[in-house]
Amino acid sequence: MRDILRKEMKLSTSPLSYLFILFGFMFFLPGYPVLCGAFFTTLGLFQGFQYAREANDIVFSALLPISKRDVVKGKYLFTCLIEACSLLLMLASALIRMTVLADSVVYRTNAMMNANLFALGGALLVFGLFNVIFLGGFFKTAYKLGKPFVIYCIAAFLAIFALEALHHVPGLVAVNAFGFEHFGLQLVLLLAGLAAFVILTLLSYRCACRRFERIDL
Amino acid sequence: MSIAEVRNLRKEYPAFTLQDVSFSIERGRITGFIGRNGAGKTTTIKSILNLVHPDGGEINYFGLPLAGHEAEIKKRVGYSTGSVSWYPRKKIRDIVGIVSKFYETWDEEAYRRYLRLFELNEDKTPLELSEGMKVKFNLLIALSHGAEVLILDEPTSGLDPFSRDELLGVFTELKEHGVAVFFSTHITSDLEKCADDIVYISHGKIVAAMPKSGFATEYAQEGESLEDTILRMERSWEHA
Repeated sequence: MRDILRKEMKLSTSPLSYLFILFGFMFFLPGYPVLCGAFFTTLGLFQGFQYAREANDIVFSALLPISKRDVVKGKYLFTCLIEACSLLLMLASALIRMTVLADSVVYRTNAMMNANLFALGGALLVFGLFNVIFLGGFFKTAYKLGKPFVIYCIAAFLAIFALEALHHVPGLVAVNAFGFEHFGLQLVLLLAGLAAFVILTLLSYRCACRRFERIDL
Repeated sequence: MSIAEVRNLRKEYPAFTLQDVSFSIERGRITGFIGRNGAGKTTTIKSILNLVHPDGGEINYFGLPLAGHEAEIKKRVGYSTGSVSWYPRKKIRDIVGIVSKFYETWDEEAYRRYLRLFELNEDKTPLELSEGMKVKFNLLIALSHGAEVLILDEPTSGLDPFSRDELLGVFTELKEHGVAVFFSTHITSDLEKCADDIVYISHGKIVAAMPKSGFATEYAQEGESLEDTILRMERSWEHA
């Protein structure tokens, strides 16, 4: 498994997949929808898939002495690794905003979602949507990227819009907590995002393995 | 002894059907897989490499079915898919550095030997290689991990006559070491030079799968070369 992940990291992807991890720092931006950081990270991954297709990566991988299931596993592992790196930057940014910058005026007067644990849960949901819609869709054919990416974009922006606006709904202001306010609720929302990510990714992975086994390369 | 056996392989496409393809690949023998363009050679090779999902039939290597033993079988099989360009902007050195890790049997000495024989520069990218050199690069990987059987799709296409001759010499050398070589071609002179067995496919069906000498006895008319025989057979079906 280490070998297929090394191949993904060194041969199969574009440098943009790594560079766009830095969009995790968008969690620092005031007055901006911070969840777009998660979307931009997946945009970097999408560029990597485009590069891989131009490099005949899927056929090359399928010819390696591994099972087809491992080819799929390599793509999912790499995607999750990039998402985890981006999430770490978001976590670091959110923790700084929740502690050192908890009383910063620019963040307090922010009309958009605050970068808190709920926002991290939201980012995990966006990553889960990428994995289930784009990755799962890609493995229907192993070459068509456009359609699953467009569907993912629509779903991601609907989710981002809903999550960013949620605290304006009467009674839901607690989701936009500052510092460690409503910590129990915030933690539950983060765990809900994590659960959504894990479930969507696992479902998508199993489905992708089945599809990839059946398609002709 | 059979290294690979293909039995009743079937694959249906809207405009083409591969029908009940059966043949075997024997240890220490060179098998030429011949047929005109579109006859089904590449579909057959892709099926036996598990790139195409067959609609029926059995594929066994070393007595094991390909389904369920894919990874362990592929470690013992070398392959080349013609002049396809993998990772066109990566250096050969980097590609090989990654690929070699997948094979416990990677033979660095053999790799260096074939690198010199094929006059490939490790610092070049596949984008900088001619079509013939791309074929050689694919062969370089196939030959460097001690494969017991080589499955090669059109390995001689795009090669100049000298390189082709060199490659056929490599096949003969490998055969002497017990390696089975199965290669597709539409160049009959390749078969005449080095093949022990012939698998002849036409319109998705195997016409003959037998030793080259047996093929000549059964199908050739007096004074005909292998090319003349195959051309005559193809034309007879066209006019039928």
